[in-house]
Amino acid sequence: MTTIPVIRKVLEKNDRAAAENRARFDAAGVMCINILGGAGCGKTLLLEALLPHLRHALRIGVLEGDLATTRDAERIAALDVPVAQLLTDGGCHLTAPHVQRALPSIPLSQLDLLLVENVGNPICPANFDLGEHLRLAVLSVAEGEDKPAKYPLLFRGAHAIVLSKLDLLPFVQFNVQQVRREVQRINPAAPVFETAATTRHGIEPLGTWVLERVRANRPLRR
Amino acid sequence: MHEFAIARALIDVAEDAARRAAARRIVGLNARIGVLRQVDALLLSEAFAAARGGTACCDAELRVEPVQTELECPACRAAFNSRAWDWRCPRCGAEGENPRGGEELELVSIEVDDDDDSGDSQGPGEERPRRRREPCPV
Repeated sequence: MTTIPVIRKVLEKNDRAAAENRARFDAAGVMCINILGGAGCGKTLLLEALLPHLRHALRIGVLEGDLATTRDAERIAALDVPVAQLLTDGGCHLTAPHVQRALPSIPLSQLDLLLVENVGNPICPANFDLGEHLRLAVLSVAEGEDKPAKYPLLFRGAHAIVLSKLDLLPFVQFNVQQVRREVQRINPAAPVFETAATTRHGIEPLGTWVLERVRANRPLRR
Repeated sequence: MHEFAIARALIDVAEDAARRAAARRIVGLNARIGVLRQVDALLLSEAFAAARGGTACCDAELRVEPVQTELECPACRAAFNSRAWDWRCPRCGAEGENPRGGEELELVSIEVDDDDDSGDSQGPGEERPRRRREPCPV
């Protein structure tokens, strides 16, 4: 028996596809943001609140990841934003090849920003690079204050963390300051935004952050 | 259940490494997986057992070395390893800072059986780990 040294990343195939995606985004001058969070944390509603705020300044496309149904894509299409639905057919996370297959159905060359809503799941998607430039982790107050400690990879890899459904605070056990401290411990660099999409609370600062990041990435062509 | 995707990816990388080394039969895989990856060891071993059939890893054993996160204590300055998700300093109880490591997800080495197929020496270009040798143990 012989031992052969390998030392290779296990997800190298996904990482290669992710690098190809990123190169395509860069060539088209598009910033891509991967939005992650558990099922029902309010990712789609956050997009619905954010898109009207950003679309006056940016040309935006959306990829909607789901296990089944095209309901989320229909909600985004109703806002007259180019959208494609990625169905994983039961798979619990998006992979870079999923995004690669969907790109032909999005007018990439006419966009400044591509938002990818991952499958609702706080665990698996965090392991898979899609080729995005930024990650946004969404946590609703209804999910509970222990989640940053339970799903640290989600929060550790995020460039910004969005606390959602703040309007439900009177009804749930969720200490915002304690969660901020937990997040700070896991990921000291990431800003934390407090939002309530139904009342549009906190949407403007989040939108400004996204806009600044897109503008810092490259001059906008308009 | 990202364990199945990871098991499949481990097999792909191991098969490719075996092919490059002109080896045929993989009997062991040694991987390093950081705790931050949240890969469940039992689920991964079950996923690997289910995924290896019909591949060059069909009777290979998967061994995983878990990698902890290293932390610094802001109070007593001790460096220590996290214990699962407990990031408190074992000496003074303060929450550890500056986490390092724990995100590893790599195939370190493979073990190949070179007694197998001893009489069958092809040129390296033609060597392929067979996707099917004998029926795999279930």
